Amino acid sequence: MIEFTPDGPFSEKADQLFPGRVRVLGLGQTGAAVCDQLVLHGRPAQDLWVFDSDQLTIEGSVVPNRHLLGRNLVHGLGCAGDIGLAREIVALEETLLTPVSRGCDFLILVLGLAGSTGVALAERFIELGHEAGAKVIVVGVQPFAFEGVSRRERSVQAIADLRAEADSVLVLAHDRIAENPATIKNIRHGFHLMHQLMAQTTQALSQVVCKRGLIQLSFADVRSLYGRYAGSEVLENCWAAHVEGDIHDRADDLIAQLMACPLLCDESIWKRVDHAIVAVSGTRDLGLSDVQEMVSLFKERMPVNIPIATSASLDEESHENVRMTVLLAMTAPARMSVPEIAAALEHPAPAKKARPKAETVPLPPVKAKAKPEPIVAEIPPKKAKSNPKPTSPPAPAPVTVETHTVAEEELIPLAAMETEPPAPAPILVPMRPSRRFQAKQEEMSFEGPPRGRFEKTHETMYRGENLDQPTFRRRGLKIRV
Amino acid sequence: MFWGKSRNIVVALEVGSTKVAAAVGEIRPDGTLALLGIGEAGSGQVRKCEIVDFEVAQGCVRDALAEAELKTDVVIAEVYLAISGAHVRSTNTRVTTLISNDGDEITPDNMQELHDMATAQPLPADHAIVHHLLQHYVLDDGSTTDNPIGLASKQLTAHFHQVYGLATRLQTTIRCVKELSIDVKNYALSSYATAQAVLSRNQKQLGAIVINLGGGISDYIAYQKGAVVHSGVLGVGGDHLTNDIVSGLKVPYAKAEQLKKNEGSVILDPAESEVTLTLPGAYNFEERLIYRASLNTIMQARQAEIFEIILEDLHNAPFWPDFAGTIYITGGASQVKGLIELASQVFPCPVELAHQSPFDGDQNYGRRPDLSTLLGLLQYARQAEMELPPPRGFARVGQSLKRALASMRLI
Repeated sequence: MIEFTPDGPFSEKADQLFPGRVRVLGLGQTGAAVCDQLVLHGRPAQDLWVFDSDQLTIEGSVVPNRHLLGRNLVHGLGCAGDIGLAREIVALEETLLTPVSRGCDFLILVLGLAGSTGVALAERFIELGHEAGAKVIVVGVQPFAFEGVSRRERSVQAIADLRAEADSVLVLAHDRIAENPATIKNIRHGFHLMHQLMAQTTQALSQVVCKRGLIQLSFADVRSLYGRYAGSEVLENCWAAHVEGDIHDRADDLIAQLMACPLLCDESIWKRVDHAIVAVSGTRDLGLSDVQEMVSLFKERMPVNIPIATSASLDEESHENVRMTVLLAMTAPARMSVPEIAAALEHPAPAKKARPKAETVPLPPVKAKAKPEPIVAEIPPKKAKSNPKPTSPPAPAPVTVETHTVAEEELIPLAAMETEPPAPAPILVPMRPSRRFQAKQEEMSFEGPPRGRFEKTHETMYRGENLDQPTFRRRGLKIRV
Repeated sequence: MFWGKSRNIVVALEVGSTKVAAAVGEIRPDGTLALLGIGEAGSGQVRKCEIVDFEVAQGCVRDALAEAELKTDVVIAEVYLAISGAHVRSTNTRVTTLISNDGDEITPDNMQELHDMATAQPLPADHAIVHHLLQHYVLDDGSTTDNPIGLASKQLTAHFHQVYGLATRLQTTIRCVKELSIDVKNYALSSYATAQAVLSRNQKQLGAIVINLGGGISDYIAYQKGAVVHSGVLGVGGDHLTNDIVSGLKVPYAKAEQLKKNEGSVILDPAESEVTLTLPGAYNFEERLIYRASLNTIMQARQAEIFEIILEDLHNAPFWPDFAGTIYITGGASQVKGLIELASQVFPCPVELAHQSPFDGDQNYGRRPDLSTLLGLLQYARQAEMELPPPRGFARVGQSLKRALASMRLI
């Protein structure tokens, strides 16, 4: 009798073809909160672990595998931003950390980039993961601007350090949700919102790198979008949105909800994104036509036309639900025409020596016909005539990908990404040539009028006004003498 | 004399923009403080409470101390110093420790640990701590207390008001005194010292803000529920009013100062628009007529601006929405006419002129608002001395020797 073996994405054969054991490690307070979100929203399939040096964080976490580190050193009080102390703790807890990094194909590290324990742990887990042959993806979040310069500088340094070692680093920014009504009302809601988004990003990543289904992406796709920066010249490079609904809902409604997600509401991000990954998952009822409809609707609603890589997978535990997560990426810093929100570009952290990466995988070119307002350097068509020599658009930055990785990466790089022919390049105006300024009168001194009695003292500045100058003069009050 | 039973003398020193003053007080056996006398010297080359010319400023300090010694017949060996300046900043911070004692009982060691943790908090580069003022302790159930010893809690949080300033500038003021062979026993933020002179315990509990309008700076401190919740220093003071008059009316500095004190007001009266003042002539200065409205406009603009900046800073402080207390104004520049009316127009809460708490001893200085910081610093010194263990054995002999040496140094 012929034995009938069911084929398909849930078969044993598929398991052998797509070995994808993902382990998610929540590091520090933020990491723990993100992992809590994953547990609370019923995503137990992932292998979740939480580590921190703060006893309150560990005791408050709902993740079963949670570990308090450095009890003898900091007595459960955390490292309070002392990265040296955090590294000391990590060195002491080596025996606990090493087994965690083994026995998986992908390690996803989730952390807040301004914390010390999380960053120190991430640095070590990247090393341990690579020693064990796993790929390491870091999902980090930058602090709010109001959290202070020292935390921001620490996060910039952390981004540079992690990018030098990890395979991919996804950096989100808290400041994107600073104007969100939930954040304004209560800052804790803002943190909660970001933790949810990070959890959804982690979920989508694990789907992309290991879930088999209707349309398959791979780790190479993630790395080609998020593994190309070194240093901290560009900080925020990832924007995420997520929607979940009944499979029988109208696709229109789902996409409308998706576009209303906090990070996509910020119009400034559309000037920066140049690629997207869309991860759709649902039950066996989810058909290719459903996925196609959702993706095409999303594409229509997006204000820019960028290449989209789609991953569609089947999830037996999702009941009647369909989930769609969008990860937007910025891969070419030259395209960036708006400043980084954290203004950290002024002090870029020195980049660590990056690990050698051999092969270059070119990305599909960015389509030029952006729907909304043009970038600053672009000119409207009327003026194009006056510029006989339009410059060419900046070439996409070269991407390096290791060659020794699994053959799967080489076979299907950006498999589902659209490959439409590139549209005509945008007409870019070179910056106005710098003409030498010819002074027609004597140059004004930068020093203000005399300050009288306070001439030798430090100026008292307030909102750009020098308070040592008479108030009546600054306010233009007329004095009869 | 030096080996006899020494009196418990405390000396407060303030190096201000207008004057340097040293107050000598005696702590009586019953713990009360008696003011023995005050030595003053006009301040030279001190602007916005920061020393511009070290030698000139040091000379002023020497003169003030010598006058104080002369008036009180006390040999000054050590002083408590008032610290201020536009570089001084403050913030609220909190530290937490887990209680691991038997029965989770809180001991003085836990409080000391919290204090040490607060001291170890990072500061901006080149800054040094001036004060860690305890606000209150919070237990694990969220309840607050001022004295948690003996209570049971799994963790203990301490809230502090942290005051810090640029180390170099703080050091300059201290060095200016120490180079006269006089020890700086301790120092206190000017506004904190002022509050000790003008606020009672009840006023601190109910909520109060003290604004000290000095010559070079205006500093302020806010109390709520008995604890300091906010403080600030604005590098603008009474000297700025004078400087504005000099600039606006083109009169010498001394004449402008006279005008400000005797004629000026910070309230504009439309009826006085054509009223003129005669500025008497002097050597190298001809008699002049000045419009009163011009003088008042200059002063009103500056004083209102000072209040508006302070109000904006208070607005941004977390305590402000719940503040239901009174604002008390003191300092040398608070003697300007119409000040309370103007302040009442700017601040959305009751405003009063501060009155110093009564004290024993020389009563000549009790009604001078420009001495409230100095007298408050004396109160601060009294409190600090009471908390110190009395010197015994060799320490006492050393103290007497120090006094003997000090008696030779100001001659």
